[in-house]
Amino acid sequence: MSDAVVVENLVVAYGGAKAVDGISFSVAPGEHLTLLGPSGCGKTTSLRAVAGLERPASGHISVNGQAVFDEAGGIDVPPERRGLAMVFQSYAIWPHMNVAENVGFPFRARGIAADIARPAVAVALAMVGLTNFADRPATLLSGGQQQRVALARALAFGTKLVLFDEPLSNLDAQLRLQMREELADLRRRLGFAAIYVTHDQDEAFALSDRILLMRAGRIEQAGTPHELYTAPRTKFAAAFLGVRNILDARIDNGRAWLDDGTMLDVADSGPPGRAAIAFRPASVILGEGMPAIVERVLFAGDVVSVLLRSGANEITATARLDSGIAVGAKIAWRVALADCHVLRT
Amino acid sequence: MKVKAETVLASALLLLLLGLVAAPAFAVLRSAWDWVALGRVLGNVTVLGNTLLMGGLTTIFAVLIGGVLALVLVRIRTPGRGLLEALMLLPLYITPLLTAIAWSWIGSPRGGLLNLLALRLFGVTLIDLQGAGGVIFVASLAYAPVPFLLIAQAMRSMDPALEDSARVHGAGTWAAFARITLPLMRPAAYGAGVLVFVQTMGLFSIPAVLGVTGGFNVAATEIYRLLNTYPPRLAQAAAWGLILLAITVATVLAQNRLLAGRSYVTIGGKSFRPRLVEVGRLRWALAAGTWFYLGLAVGLPVATLIWASLVNFLTIDPALMAFDLRHFAYVIFVHPAAGLAAANSLMLGVLTATLIAMLALAIGWVVVRRRGTIPQLLDYLAMAPLAIPSVVLALGVLGTYAGLDIVPIYGTSAILLVAYAAHFLPIGVRASAAAMRQIHPELEDSARVSGAGLFGMLRYVVVPLTRPTLVAVWVLVFVLALQEVSASILLYTSRSTVLSVAMFDLWEAGNLSGLAALGVMQLAVTFAAIALLGRFRRQGIAA
Repeated sequence: MSDAVVVENLVVAYGGAKAVDGISFSVAPGEHLTLLGPSGCGKTTSLRAVAGLERPASGHISVNGQAVFDEAGGIDVPPERRGLAMVFQSYAIWPHMNVAENVGFPFRARGIAADIARPAVAVALAMVGLTNFADRPATLLSGGQQQRVALARALAFGTKLVLFDEPLSNLDAQLRLQMREELADLRRRLGFAAIYVTHDQDEAFALSDRILLMRAGRIEQAGTPHELYTAPRTKFAAAFLGVRNILDARIDNGRAWLDDGTMLDVADSGPPGRAAIAFRPASVILGEGMPAIVERVLFAGDVVSVLLRSGANEITATARLDSGIAVGAKIAWRVALADCHVLRT
Repeated sequence: MKVKAETVLASALLLLLLGLVAAPAFAVLRSAWDWVALGRVLGNVTVLGNTLLMGGLTTIFAVLIGGVLALVLVRIRTPGRGLLEALMLLPLYITPLLTAIAWSWIGSPRGGLLNLLALRLFGVTLIDLQGAGGVIFVASLAYAPVPFLLIAQAMRSMDPALEDSARVHGAGTWAAFARITLPLMRPAAYGAGVLVFVQTMGLFSIPAVLGVTGGFNVAATEIYRLLNTYPPRLAQAAAWGLILLAITVATVLAQNRLLAGRSYVTIGGKSFRPRLVEVGRLRWALAAGTWFYLGLAVGLPVATLIWASLVNFLTIDPALMAFDLRHFAYVIFVHPAAGLAAANSLMLGVLTATLIAMLALAIGWVVVRRRGTIPQLLDYLAMAPLAIPSVVLALGVLGTYAGLDIVPIYGTSAILLVAYAAHFLPIGVRASAAAMRQIHPELEDSARVSGAGLFGMLRYVVVPLTRPTLVAVWVLVFVLALQEVSASILLYTSRSTVLSVAMFDLWEAGNLSGLAALGVMQLAVTFAAIALLGRFRRQGIAA
């Protein structure tokens, strides 16, 4: 079975600026790939290029084994003939149609008779829990319901590839969590491949089989959620993925030395020289190791967040609520060996 | 590479607009390249001066009237504001030809009804509307709604917080108005001024009725005379066209220069509820003033027209008056051209309105959604007629299609259709582009991804969502095409005559009663169309 999507050396340019600068990736059938990154990193542009809504400057795109864009071969298949579906950030629910008409549009647009479409529309509406809303004008729905209509429309026709452009970003926090779970369930049941664009790392971690972290039109790091979470390779990746502690260090002999002489054990140290080391607050072990001063203690729900100072370095750690750490106190700290990573660039 | 549907559409539209707008403009330039004719025309300082006087003063008065009325109806708590504002559209629906004729009956020095009445009662005549004063008076009344609409819209799209912040920082009501609001209205006022100026520079109907007999000739009446002498002096007519074009284009460019480099961004597509100013007793005077304007622009002329169509002949002596429908019977059953003219006008109105609605949809979409050279060119070409007086456009259409055998439209109604389409194009494209910008692009993307092609997407998404605007454009263009004079008068033949030409002929022949009857019928059709639009609106089909 051919890949759901193959993208090779994709470049999308606006005037002189390259919004997408030569990226390549593929999506296996049934796989959920997330394009993650800050705004302006080219993730939405890449997605729209796959959909055919943005014309790339060069590169190759194929969908379900068929070339849909190839600069060299002169191929540019319009969006309606790429055989995919898409959920838009704004939901893009047509205000002049009711719910059933919105969901049934992919059939109508392709000239498929209404009586063939009707059962598929009913199934799709049932999947998103909107069976009783079929005749409701789309404009009278809440944001969450519109989101479900958009989802039903994307699923009704049964395409093997569904594109998602920040679909949950306009929902409130609670609804977002709920929709995230429903989305994961639906994909498991229906088995479509997905390319999912988001700037929310939690969403990416929860939904993805694989994540491409993007920066300035290029892929910064690719991997499974677990790989990205535990082993970000660059400063940018570490910072974007919420690694609070990124410190300049000198690597020597499998160890990292901070400027003030603090020594830390690191995993996979690589060649000696200047580098950055990164570790999450939860990986800091308090009460043993090198000395530091407690600068600030913030209540953070389950734990307290502790800011330590060691020379010019600030280190964020977490501690139990009952640890009794006081501002100004001296405290020893170290990082679990496996959790302290050396970053290149 | 296979050519995309978008590219095909944009290229086809470009080709069409080249024939509709660019070729006529070029034809004027080319046929005016006759130094003798150009010299003779430029030597005619009086007519050039008259034209500039008419254009300039009408523009100033129309903007003043329109601006003051916008202030009165939008920013001041004037009694009856809602009704008055709706009525402000009326002058646009009545062809200036009819207003001018009605005013000539009311106010000509000898035989004008008002003067006859005054002569009988007080032994003196009151007014003389024959000549420059009368032309500018009637033209200012007729064109004031254009600045009114644009300035009122600008007032509505101004964030009241801009004024509030001036007040908080120490400015009084009038200081805030003078230092903040007034400057922010400047682009709208200039824009409206340029629009009125371009139209009045090529104005034919009003000076033909009120000016020529008083020796007040302007460019448009000159062009008409030059083309209707034997042999027709084409080169001189074209030279006039070129001069008008040079003046109007220079004006548009000057306006762009004037507004460049300063930000007047008060419009975010948002509409605000402007704060209303209380003026105490004065409000009654303001309302009365507005009613007075409407009376002069619409009430009195239309009443005169209706009265003239029913009375046996124009007289102020009640003893001699008799009322019946014989003039209507005459124009419908006896007059040789009126029936044909009415049929042609209705057909042209329907065709022009339909064509403009379709072009507005297609061009509006390309201009708003596509990037690149062709959409840019389309935008310029579609807006260019705003800078071309319709009489010049007609000259250009004549120059392009007379003798062009591969497009054999010369002498038929089709050449009128071409001129009308070019002339009304900006109205349609502007309105539809504005409506298009209100549509979230993802509504269109979503249709494409769902399997609709370009035309399917337009049909299922863009047309339904812009239908209110398109219907309004259709009705407006239908009404305006029905009253078009300046271009028709140069392009008609006996077989393709239209209502306004028939009315002008009746006026020249001195058949005032028949003219009044025909005018009343034209107004009836116009207001029927507008009433229909109102019904659509209530049903939610049109905005």
